[in-house]
Amino acid sequence: MQTAFIPRIVIGLFGIDQHEVGAIAVTGLLRDAGMEVVYAGRFNTPEKFVREATDEDADVIGISCHSWEYIHFVPELMRRIADEGLDVAVVLGGSVITPGDAETMRMSGVAAVFGPDAMKDQMVDEIRALAKAVRGRRR
Amino acid sequence: MAEQTRSGIALKPHYTRADVSCSEAPEAPEAPGAYPFTRGRLRPPQASPGWINRELSGEGDARRSNEQIKYLIGLGQMGVDVIGDSPTQSMIDPDHPLVRYSVGTQGVSLCHKQDYLDLLRDIPLENNSVSSSVPAVFALTGLLAVVEDRGLARDKVRGSVLQAPLYAEDCGYSSGMPFTLLNRLAVDTIEFAVEKLPRFHAYIEDTYFFSESGLNGVEEMALGFVEIRHLTRELIRRGVQVDSFAPRIAILVNCGMDFFEEIAKIRATRRFYARMMKEEFKALDPRSWSTVITCHTSGLTLTAQQTASNIVRGSIQGMALALAGVQAMEISAFDEAYRTPSDEAHRVALRTQQVLQLETGISKVDDPLGGSYYVEALTDQIEQRIASMVAEIEARGDAVTLAQQGFFRKLFADASQRHYRLVNSGERKVVGANCHRIPAEQDTLLRDIAEKKIEPWLSRISEVTAYRKARHRDGVSRSLRSLQRAAQDKAVNVLPEVFGALRAGATAGEMAGAMRLAYDHPYDPWGELRPEF
Repeated sequence: MQTAFIPRIVIGLFGIDQHEVGAIAVTGLLRDAGMEVVYAGRFNTPEKFVREATDEDADVIGISCHSWEYIHFVPELMRRIADEGLDVAVVLGGSVITPGDAETMRMSGVAAVFGPDAMKDQMVDEIRALAKAVRGRRR
Repeated sequence: MAEQTRSGIALKPHYTRADVSCSEAPEAPEAPGAYPFTRGRLRPPQASPGWINRELSGEGDARRSNEQIKYLIGLGQMGVDVIGDSPTQSMIDPDHPLVRYSVGTQGVSLCHKQDYLDLLRDIPLENNSVSSSVPAVFALTGLLAVVEDRGLARDKVRGSVLQAPLYAEDCGYSSGMPFTLLNRLAVDTIEFAVEKLPRFHAYIEDTYFFSESGLNGVEEMALGFVEIRHLTRELIRRGVQVDSFAPRIAILVNCGMDFFEEIAKIRATRRFYARMMKEEFKALDPRSWSTVITCHTSGLTLTAQQTASNIVRGSIQGMALALAGVQAMEISAFDEAYRTPSDEAHRVALRTQQVLQLETGISKVDDPLGGSYYVEALTDQIEQRIASMVAEIEARGDAVTLAQQGFFRKLFADASQRHYRLVNSGERKVVGANCHRIPAEQDTLLRDIAEKKIEPWLSRISEVTAYRKARHRDGVSRSLRSLQRAAQDKAVNVLPEVFGALRAGATAGEMAGAMRLAYDHPYDPWGELRPEF
């Protein structure tokens, strides 16, 4: 019998962005959907996210963005992931991400961006699909 | 299912005289400005009705924010309301590696004495009160440095600082300090101000920021009162007379979209406060019974979609506040969901207040809703619910211990989950977000303003690094060692040493670090810096 696939996700915030409401809410939502969430909380740098994702064997890094710090930190994170040869999908969420910035983020290698319009089911499905693809490549 | 308020109070289809408590009995009607102040605070003889218009300002460095403040005063704003950027709020200096991209973006970067001088340059302090959302210990000593620099009389200076020792750590502005130290700093600051700046409000109980986690009005005020009661007891224990500080306590509340409940919440808050100060804390001065209420409208109720609707939300919330009778208000700018306010959004928010004040006649009469069966009944019920939640929390133990145990943190986390679920399921209607949506490509009105960005103030980082090098090193080190020693001695007030260190050229990050060390905590909780004194 095949065991059920359980996505593993690290969720946190960058720098000193302390608006944790969204991150906590999404953590609960993904756990309810049967995913394993490592909650990295506030005060993360690109280095910390990469370390956490490696240690936890995560499929996805989810970053909640409620300050503009992400615009500068995300390219640093993507570079670091590439440098270390890590296979992990990066997703961003948060109301501060404007449509234009979302496009820039996708161009820099971010797998998905959930803006203020994101609905719960769409987010859960998309994260699950991304995690599955990452896990498939690792096998 | 019967209708209910945001706080879960079941509503009747309509209200009658039978729903109103005896305090509103026709034979003994309560007057505005009289105990227990349900209908409005005790008004000083010279004061007129209405409220102070204020918009939150602060971006970039102190010089940029000084221009912004002058712009707002030029628009007719009364007083200064400054918010620090995230590093400032967390007592982290701008040259700390963790904060490199947040310097000056969500508020003003302040970390040493010159910043405070630059921030308030050319702004007359005799007729502008200075309120700030900056850690109270630095806001107060920074203002005192300005007063000293200009040779002003200390008893002329008005303004306020926020205190949130129980909740800041869990709810947006972590400073990596133990709760015991945060509480001591709050008590020290209030005690220091009683002596040094007698007209200054050194204790604004800020229920706004933590209720933005999604708390309802009853929870918001219950937690606010838990903190007020805790600090009041601490001050009394120190021997500070209740009548010396209670008249200077104000409460900064939130205002969401449940129109009548928000009005009732403010009325209930005034009454609960009055009874508590008079009956429980035995305050004798009527000014101690009557709290000043100021308000920010809720950013959480604003939407990133169809931004223009936020102007409508702000107007409705502003009207609720005018009807409830507040002493100052700030309407969240319509672009709040995206950014710190643009000049354009600031102006709209200020104009909203001015339209309410100058065109509607809304503030010509005190408490215009007083005597409404519904509003009075709701006021009674909210007051009862606040009282029982306060009693329930206090029965669990000492507030600082509860904070250490994560009790409040869990309340906030549960509230955000609840809010998110209600909005996501559509049970709580948010126009433009979960109903009456339009395609993103059509959602363009005011979008250009909302999307304009403030870049991190990277030049500030090198300026602070240069400032550090140019200082008189020995004097700074001596002052920080002296601050650390004072902080180790729990029986003294640390404020004189903080003021001394500020004058000697120390930065907020260094002073916070020295105080953390005194409490056996890491100098830099984020593991990047070492003490250099």
